[in-house]
Amino acid sequence: MVQIRNAAVAYKTLNGLICVYKPSCVSVRQVQHIIVTHLCRELNDLPGRPLEKRVEIVGPTNAPMEVKLVPNYADDPLVCGPRYIHEDIRCSWATHLGLFSSGVLLLGINDGTKLTYLLNTARPTRAFKVHGQFGKGTDTYFWNGKTVERASFGHVTRAKIDRVVAHIQAAHQKTMYELSGLHMDSQTTYDIASEGLLRPANSKLPVIYGIKCVHFDPPNFTLEIQSVNEYDKYLWTLVHDLGVQLKTVAHCTAVQCIRQGKFTLPLALLRKHWQMEHLLNNMDQCRQILEDNENLLRPKSAQLTI
Amino acid sequence: MNLSYTLRRYFIFNIKSKFNRSLSDAQNFLEVKGKQQENPLDSIRKDMSEITPYFPESFNLSAYINSSQSLQNLLHLNINLSKIEKQPHIAEKILKLDFNNDMKDHILFLKDYVDMENIGLFITKNPLILCQSIEDLQVRLNYLESKHFSADQIKQIISRNPFWLMFSTLRIDKRLGYFQQKFNLVGKEIRQLVTRQPKIITYNLHHINTNSFVIKEEMGFNDDEIKFLILNIPKLWMLHQKSLLERFNYLHNVIKIQHDAIMTHPKVLLCRNFRIKQRHLFLKSLGRAQYESIKENYVPITALYEGTDVEFCRNYGKCHIDNFNMFLKTL
Repeated sequence: MVQIRNAAVAYKTLNGLICVYKPSCVSVRQVQHIIVTHLCRELNDLPGRPLEKRVEIVGPTNAPMEVKLVPNYADDPLVCGPRYIHEDIRCSWATHLGLFSSGVLLLGINDGTKLTYLLNTARPTRAFKVHGQFGKGTDTYFWNGKTVERASFGHVTRAKIDRVVAHIQAAHQKTMYELSGLHMDSQTTYDIASEGLLRPANSKLPVIYGIKCVHFDPPNFTLEIQSVNEYDKYLWTLVHDLGVQLKTVAHCTAVQCIRQGKFTLPLALLRKHWQMEHLLNNMDQCRQILEDNENLLRPKSAQLTI
Repeated sequence: MNLSYTLRRYFIFNIKSKFNRSLSDAQNFLEVKGKQQENPLDSIRKDMSEITPYFPESFNLSAYINSSQSLQNLLHLNINLSKIEKQPHIAEKILKLDFNNDMKDHILFLKDYVDMENIGLFITKNPLILCQSIEDLQVRLNYLESKHFSADQIKQIISRNPFWLMFSTLRIDKRLGYFQQKFNLVGKEIRQLVTRQPKIITYNLHHINTNSFVIKEEMGFNDDEIKFLILNIPKLWMLHQKSLLERFNYLHNVIKIQHDAIMTHPKVLLCRNFRIKQRHLFLKSLGRAQYESIKENYVPITALYEGTDVEFCRNYGKCHIDNFNMFLKTL
């Protein structure tokens, strides 16, 4: 890592994708705001450019006039404001994460905003860990909602969960073909489909590629879900539906994104590390990942690769 | 009938006024033509240095600073003018002041109470102090002296709360009385409170009232404990009530720390909730979340908010910081 000595150099290197760990109960906008504020503060603390000089031509106009080079007070950061402000740093997210979800969040800084757009349209899969609890149903399907129903869950076993979960996954295979944008009766579709899974053509409907129960300790359980186009409320309803199909009720206690495309948890920066030094390192790592996997940004076929 | 009459009157009036105006224009034109002697293309021998281009009103102070000695002097005092211009009505007042006539005495006056390196920060926070009269400021200082504050304490009060001198003695007196009555403080204690946190006196009283309600009724501290809290961590009354209650709720109802334990380490209430939460959950996952001093494997409450994460892991988690970071990524 190069030592950053100059604010201008630092600003020019701040272009790219960063991968941060979004805590729950902090909105994506707040995350953006915190990161941009930290960046601005650290850029302003770095040594900036020298103050500009001002040419002043003084004296009566009917005699030889004097040309002077005087310091320009208007250029002082105390007068014209800090050199770097919020508006100087663009920041956009690749895929939104709900307020109560936590986990991997990709943000584009400055020129990286283009990358986030490409990533979003390429629709890489995201992996989620969805924690749920049996026995209580809420009106929002999440822990913060009002309890509307209680039911016993003694009859639920691991085998029963696995059966229902496998059924959900199979049902989504059909939507996957419908959303791929291919004609269902053509030879091309058959050829592509025989090779593996397909990407959805638009971002309208959620598609689940894989879902399995990874932890079961009644009343708590954890599902691992690989999907595209999902959103936090959809995952909550999924837990609720699971409860209903198991002849009990369930609500979601936490949603955690553990992977987006090739960006995984070990890469994600924790809240205490949202500083320029760490962010620049992280940006380098993300750039490396994007270079190694070209189809992450511009996939060539309808097949699901990541 | 009536309407058509009004319309006609209006029409005639308009024609008359237009006619008059064109007449006066013609007269003006004749006068100007009579005076005009010089060709605009001729070179002029006069001194034109006073003539400047049209300079419209600017939205910031940096437009004026190169021509204004007063503003330059303020800059040399390290005053952040870019912050002052954020409030246009204040910037307008500052622009009308002259350094030697209006500001110099104030700054010399403040110099006795505020350190020289902090005076820029002081005036940045409260530029309107330059618009107050010196006599008023002196009266407000005399009031503090009359209330038996020592010179050192006065200095601390003024330098730590730039807005103190803006309040009239009547208001300050009322507010001191309010605090004394509300928290049942004796003279010495109120002086201790004011020196410790002078901002609380000039704070929004509605906010103080709500926080008092939160601390007394919602959190359930008794009067003696409240008195202890306001004398030791008055900042509690300046926090947002919602976050304050959230912190207490987590400490008392989730971690199950009793009131008297919180009273021995009241600073735990100043720590942001997510920090306490993540440390507590980590200790819990290790099976070390045991905060009662009479049982074995005791972890003090200070572990939840003091020190860096590295120190926390070494002293209380007995593990490497990486383990803690890994744990944070499962929350």
